[in-house]
Amino acid sequence: MEHIKWIDQLEEAFPGLLKNPSLENGNELRMEMEKADLREICLYVYETLNLPLIGLFASDERSLHRFFALYYTFADRDHGVTLTLTTKVEEKKPMYDSVTDRIHGAALYEREIKDMFGLEPIGHPDAKPLLLHSNWPEGHFPLRKDFDGRKRPPYANRKMKFKKVGGQGVFEIPVGPVHAGIIEPGHFRFSVAGEPIINLEAQLGFVHKGIEKLAERSNLEKGLYIAERISGDETFSNSLAYCLAAEKIARITVPKRGQYTRVVFAELERLTAHLGDLAGICLDVGYGFACFQFRMMRGWCYPLADELCGMRFLRSVNQPGGVRKDFLAGKEDSAMEQLLKIEKELTDTWRILRGNSMFADRVENTGIVRPEVAKDLNAVGPPARAAGRAIDVRKDFPYSSYGEFKFDVPEFTDGDVNARMKIKLKECHSSISIMLQALGGIQKMGDKEFNMPLGELPPYQWAYGMTESPRGENLHFLMTGESNAIFRYKVRTPSFCNWPVVCHAVQGNIVPDFPLINKSFNLSYAGNDL
Amino acid sequence: MLRTIGKMLKYKRLTLGYPKKKPDHRFFIGKPVIDQGKCTKCKECLNRCPSGAIVQNPATGQVDINLDECIFCVLCEDVCKFDAAHMTRAYETAEKDRMALRKSPLIIEERDLPNGDYELLCNQVSEKISKTFGRSLQIREVDAGSCNGCDYEINGLNNPFNDIERLGIHFVASPRHADMLLVTGTGTRNMELALVKTYNACPSPKLVVAVGACACSGGIFKDTYAGRNGIDAIVPVDVYIPGCPPRPVSILYGILKALDKI
Repeated sequence: MEHIKWIDQLEEAFPGLLKNPSLENGNELRMEMEKADLREICLYVYETLNLPLIGLFASDERSLHRFFALYYTFADRDHGVTLTLTTKVEEKKPMYDSVTDRIHGAALYEREIKDMFGLEPIGHPDAKPLLLHSNWPEGHFPLRKDFDGRKRPPYANRKMKFKKVGGQGVFEIPVGPVHAGIIEPGHFRFSVAGEPIINLEAQLGFVHKGIEKLAERSNLEKGLYIAERISGDETFSNSLAYCLAAEKIARITVPKRGQYTRVVFAELERLTAHLGDLAGICLDVGYGFACFQFRMMRGWCYPLADELCGMRFLRSVNQPGGVRKDFLAGKEDSAMEQLLKIEKELTDTWRILRGNSMFADRVENTGIVRPEVAKDLNAVGPPARAAGRAIDVRKDFPYSSYGEFKFDVPEFTDGDVNARMKIKLKECHSSISIMLQALGGIQKMGDKEFNMPLGELPPYQWAYGMTESPRGENLHFLMTGESNAIFRYKVRTPSFCNWPVVCHAVQGNIVPDFPLINKSFNLSYAGNDL
Repeated sequence: MLRTIGKMLKYKRLTLGYPKKKPDHRFFIGKPVIDQGKCTKCKECLNRCPSGAIVQNPATGQVDINLDECIFCVLCEDVCKFDAAHMTRAYETAEKDRMALRKSPLIIEERDLPNGDYELLCNQVSEKISKTFGRSLQIREVDAGSCNGCDYEINGLNNPFNDIERLGIHFVASPRHADMLLVTGTGTRNMELALVKTYNACPSPKLVVAVGACACSGGIFKDTYAGRNGIDAIVPVDVYIPGCPPRPVSILYGILKALDKI
């Protein structure tokens, strides 16, 4: 690895305070720090070294060393390195210094840790419950190891607080959790004066199923099936992130054929998801013709998936160590033909869509995400790329042979619905191009191996799995336990990062545009609530 | 405009004729079965099944699959050394009675049961509905804690390939306009109240259809602190559609079954 300047800078700034530095798995830099120093060090990393916070979570490691552990993860996307700073929190004094006032993206992570572990962030401006609602009794912390994950605690009736906006003519519109469309549940509080939205607060957590706790009583084999069911339309990228983490711990490299097969399925998933989003955007502005064009193309992706693996949602394709079968052998030509058909139709449809001025009127300058907001909240995926941040895990932290394919990361600076839509359209084309390259590569490949056994993993080792899901950067943390059990599985999907961005994007827009703006993000509720 | 018309003429009709015409199901992965002739009762699949759907009959020793709990992950087929467990292509799997999907008795905790004899209630309602809504049906979809896979498949019923409106079935925006609730997800703690309120807001007579393994039995998310094992612990259910997620045609089959049209 090339020499990175900020590592020296960091060690000079805090001499002796960062202990046991180590570089694992090629790009995971790890250091330990004392709880008293965490705020100062994190702020230095974030503000002076300019590394964004991409993950913050806790782990109950009292059985290992009597403490809770906190993991602060920062990313250096230019060098493809993550920096993880860990610290320990005593059970007797379950609190730590909040960094939310200066690192705004940490707000939700700290609330989640308080919900799940009962660790209090001191100085958090608004540390109310995140995933556990008014029915949850106080003093029960699901992710502590002494909490029985099979037991349902008694029902409580606490009061939920929402941000109040005052003034003459200001009123609130509560929406949800059951919505008018066929979508997932979430509660939205709009504070409006007339039509324009002053503030939106999203209360999520309605589909919280306790996935992380469930993983802790599973083994690595079952963990895969749980990972596949985190968020339905991101099945493959979630299972891939899980597999990458497990493979890093096992120190194995997946055979080329397996890697290329994964690329094809990951891009097929992206294409399917983006076509659905484009259809949704067209539907929400009432442009039926274009909507059904995109739905038709999405409808063509499903039989292709069926033909390749028999599963419309690409489930049971991955397995730690490779893929379950040689799915693509002999099907390359047929797949290529179907992809080219979709590409042609996509080009035609876009030509028609572009010429419609009424459509342009609805999508342009609607739901603008300002670049500062995108940076502060660590926006990821298409919304970030539409707001001038060309970040993409496939380029920044290449996995599964993505370094071998030619593709561009599109970038726009407008940050509106139109820009997000153009990003998704361009990504549809690049996905098709990557799939064609990978299918061509597989055809020429002599090597027939597509997976390898994982074997027994060493206990209490951890690693990150990072993938670019259709919605953006996807970060999974996996820590093994004894005899291939899972000790801790933390999932941070792109939706978790992007939900606060939606709340900012709608400000100043009119209420009827909310569905359109929401659709242009198309975030997963299940992936956020876990 | 001309280009738009051109496209409309190019793709005249995409809709597949289900249920009159069966879809091409060559590549489908459907209902799993265990061939009792080949099964040696080694219980490898039983021990490894991620959703605990495979059970052994204590009297006969027979190993079999509870379809309402199955997540269609193909693991049993992969681990079976004797070629007994395998996936079929059957996709019309919905049943009105949950026991018809099961091989082992249902153990329900006392507190999970809603008040009243709901089986009797369901049958009466179902009769009434088939008389009342002979020709059309209004559906409200409720996600009570799914992974959104089932919701995308329900959405798929509206795409040009399935076009559910041709059968007189519409998705409506409010439960007050609905005759049927299509419920996905395990019934999470946080959605319980919303589901009950939606059910109560729906005018009687009404039908409830559970879509997917989670809604039928909790699926892979069984026995967690944050949810129930299936939505029949919260509201009475008329038809169970297994699958993870079930295909649009399987969901359509279930809906039509609820109406006694199949």
